[in-house]
Amino acid sequence: MDMAAKFQDQLVFHMTGRRTGEGLAPLDSASMRPALFAGYRDLTRLRHDYPLVLVETGKSDAYAASLTLLVNRVLDALAPRGIEGERLRKHVLRLERELRAMLAAGVSGDLSELWAAAAEKLASAADESVAKVLALAGGAIKIDGALVDCDEHLPSRFMIHAWRHVQAQKAALFHGHLDGLQRRLSDILRAAYAHSEAGQKPAALKAAVGGMHADDFDFSAMSRLVGKNVPKDELPASRRKRIEWALSVIKSQRFHAAKLGQGEPPHEFLFDNVAAAVAAYRDRLPQAVELVKAIAVAELETRNGYDEADHDPFFEAYDEQSIAADDLALFPDYLVCIPADRNDAPENAGLMDTLSSGLPVKVVVQVTDLLEEASLGTGHFAFGVRSARLATTAMGLGGMFVLQAAASSLYRMRNRVEGGMGCRGPALFSVFAGAPAAAGDLPRYLTAAAAMESRAFPAFVYDAAAGDNWATRFSLEHNRNPETDWPVEPFEFADEGLQRQRSDVAFTYADFAMCDRRNAQHFAVVPRDRWTSAMVPAGDWLALPEREAAERVPYLLAVDEKDVLHRVIVDMRMMQATRRCVLLWHRLQEHGGIHDSHAVRLLAREKAAWEAQKSEEIDAIRKAAAASGAPAAEAAPAAATAGAPAAAESAPAAEEKPASDDPWIETARCPSCNECQLINPEMFGYNDNKQAFIKDITKGTYRQLVEAAEVCQVAIIHPGKPKNPDEPGLEELMKRAEAFN
Amino acid sequence: MATPLSQSIIKLHEERHDLEDYQSGVPRWCTGCGDNAILAAVQRLCRDENLAPEKTVFVSGIGCSSRFPHYMKTYGFHGIHGRAFPIAEGVKMARPDLNVFVNTGDGDCCSIGAAHWIHALRYNMNMTVILHDNHVYGLTKKQASPTSPVGLKSNTTPRGSVLEPLNPLTVTLGVANVSFVAQAVDWIPELMYEIVSKAFHHRGFSFIRVIQRCPEFLPKMFEPWLHDPSKTLLLTHDNGLQPSADLGRIYKNQRAHDPLDIHRAREIASSEDPIPVGILYQDPKVPCYEDLRGAGKPRTVEAVRKGLDAEFDKFTIWPDEQGQERAA
Repeated sequence: MDMAAKFQDQLVFHMTGRRTGEGLAPLDSASMRPALFAGYRDLTRLRHDYPLVLVETGKSDAYAASLTLLVNRVLDALAPRGIEGERLRKHVLRLERELRAMLAAGVSGDLSELWAAAAEKLASAADESVAKVLALAGGAIKIDGALVDCDEHLPSRFMIHAWRHVQAQKAALFHGHLDGLQRRLSDILRAAYAHSEAGQKPAALKAAVGGMHADDFDFSAMSRLVGKNVPKDELPASRRKRIEWALSVIKSQRFHAAKLGQGEPPHEFLFDNVAAAVAAYRDRLPQAVELVKAIAVAELETRNGYDEADHDPFFEAYDEQSIAADDLALFPDYLVCIPADRNDAPENAGLMDTLSSGLPVKVVVQVTDLLEEASLGTGHFAFGVRSARLATTAMGLGGMFVLQAAASSLYRMRNRVEGGMGCRGPALFSVFAGAPAAAGDLPRYLTAAAAMESRAFPAFVYDAAAGDNWATRFSLEHNRNPETDWPVEPFEFADEGLQRQRSDVAFTYADFAMCDRRNAQHFAVVPRDRWTSAMVPAGDWLALPEREAAERVPYLLAVDEKDVLHRVIVDMRMMQATRRCVLLWHRLQEHGGIHDSHAVRLLAREKAAWEAQKSEEIDAIRKAAAASGAPAAEAAPAAATAGAPAAAESAPAAEEKPASDDPWIETARCPSCNECQLINPEMFGYNDNKQAFIKDITKGTYRQLVEAAEVCQVAIIHPGKPKNPDEPGLEELMKRAEAFN
Repeated sequence: MATPLSQSIIKLHEERHDLEDYQSGVPRWCTGCGDNAILAAVQRLCRDENLAPEKTVFVSGIGCSSRFPHYMKTYGFHGIHGRAFPIAEGVKMARPDLNVFVNTGDGDCCSIGAAHWIHALRYNMNMTVILHDNHVYGLTKKQASPTSPVGLKSNTTPRGSVLEPLNPLTVTLGVANVSFVAQAVDWIPELMYEIVSKAFHHRGFSFIRVIQRCPEFLPKMFEPWLHDPSKTLLLTHDNGLQPSADLGRIYKNQRAHDPLDIHRAREIASSEDPIPVGILYQDPKVPCYEDLRGAGKPRTVEAVRKGLDAEFDKFTIWPDEQGQERAA
């Protein structure tokens, strides 16, 4: 078959989505996956961010910790470097894998109990010492909490946990403040009682002195004496009433749980729909107003600053309208976790209303299906208009916190999540939990990550409180290669001759869509012998001019169950959706200051003006030179390049010891023994000669620098002075570093 | 049509390799092991000389050092204990066009392989030999080796080693036909590279003894030499090493030594403190065994096929007379 005929089949499929002839095979979504997924067959063997430990509230500063991180810490602490620690490392890492496998099989529970179960299982197949070793390692993990995998429930569990963590901090502050107020108000009442007639009766005096010395005094005499000499200072009735009222309101508040569980149970702040949350907010508003008033009165009273003439009218007029954001910040925030099946249009409309009203409601929207069909009809890609684009819409309302992320990256964005939960006012968290079961058998972690990487569900944070311009408020930093259309990954494979080939492969929206079996009709597999030069990678195809694109067919790389590489061509429909995805991504990029069209235009204008000015100047010099008879042509460029050689010459000297307190490595003396990179491969790197240098000082701590200096066999690492003055234990570290500076 | 040889020459000029192109896998040596320094120097050499991976072979015996071929993305032969030399000699005889390297340890070379070592020196075949001498058996978890110092406590010498250590330099300098002997230490990477490079360019059996740290089993052994540059004696000469100005400032203890002077070389070789570092002996005129035996024809794929065809032809029944004549 000649090339033209081969290509004809492909072009027909691309244009119409119909497979004609024998040349194209249907895509079997169950076995085919994007080529870049080849290395992710068995997630239990990969040490990634998940599973997570949702740390019990109050046990640690962090509310979530990755199991991998905890295991690393234990191994750092318990397993000595080198051969001695090898046994422990091996067993603990095996246990970590076992935990992953257990979670994947649907087991759930706290870290400590799952650890014990996994240890028992591993130990039963080995000798007794293994059980001991694993129990020892388990005991060294100081924190505990539910162990969760990246499954469909993760977004709500993670967000509720983050919310509880923030609320617990808030409650601690609240109780700290209110306890002080209560104590001081009670002190006022007690002092008043001590001065009152009732307080000076013999029985009251006897009670005040206490049982131990009750027989040593004549309390009747004491009562007479005290009554005569102590000035009468009765609390005015109105003040006593106010204080007692404030105390009772504070004591009976139901917003934050009482510390010892006494009193009435607190209000519920967790809802699954916005309407219920708003109704609860309205119901409790009068109580909130009372409490705010009581606190204000108490604060005034404790300072003895309550002036009835001034304050009485003010507090009488204080009502629901008067309550301000600062006051609301005292109370717990409402958390609404909208489950994926209730994430529909009416709910979204109510949601937008609520968010724009500025109520202290934190809303978590779970998105499970990005590729569902549009409500307007069959065959249209909805492209998650209802769900995935919710966050961008909310961002348009301004004045709130918006975070969009895939479940796979929640852990990496945990600080931003915590910030959002703690912000004043409304916040929206839109989280993609991974493709639904209808889509295929890929683990949710992978599909969630794929959605983010393919720009179908990009991660971003918009924090209205962070600053007064877009640059400070909006961030795309959690996406991979945010400056490009698609993230590009290096991909290595063996060709027919078993020779290693390398290429850079873009991960596009079409790759993401290929993971979903409901989209199989948009793809066709081309056998190896029918590959033609007219096939172009999908990412490159989009960049072609229209005329050229019409003569080419876009393809994706995919692997089957045996990791054999295939080319999969894509039909026009899917490519249109892909193009639309990249357009929406461009819009986000502009928000993030990447390829900002306004800035580009401004830059072009400035550049044109600058060039015009320079050419005028050069003309003037030429004219002047022509007048004086000198060779004018070289005059201007020579002046412009004069600085360059000098700079180049001074570069080699940079290897010498820097004058400042910066850390440095005598790279030329490095014997490449890897010690420093084992401590932190991101901070230390190898140059072209495989000798160490400081790659990125910001990627590590001063402690790691000092430890690297200590283990370096040839003592060529000089840690300098610490960059971060807040790092713990600096004094001791600097002392240790002295020997190497 | 170009011959296979010129084809490969053309290819040699076309392909440039990075250091990573020679790296295969992650070395399983202990952290801090001196073997890493040797690996880095050899990979640098391969890159700077642009050695074609398919024309380069690393042969080793048994021991920590002998895992070396696993970490080079070239051809390799992880042989049996002490037998790296005969394997490498076989490779060189069959394929004199290949760059042959031998990595051997102090146990592999100086103990079980000592007989092969002596005769490999005498054969003087063109290969680069690196003796990774860490003074201990590391792979089997600390037993005394032939180069272990007196008094070393190990699993086989719990009361301390009683024998004087063998000096690989004086041994090599005492064998007939020796043509290149040098000593390097793993903690001076610049000199390590220079020496490996000189050895590679020497035509003949280039023997480098690398004194190497074993941080796992002898962590303190070379501390004094690491921290006191005066305990290292740099051998310099126009025909030997010329250390850089920076290195010269650190290692001031230097001595001019002509690598052609074998008597002085033997004298220097017997010094253990300071450790001499540099080219002790080099005689480019010693003939190579493969030249004496006329093994000059590279056995290319075509040559092998032709040879096989010729052998098969002996047993072919030709239908016509012409064929019989041809067979005869």
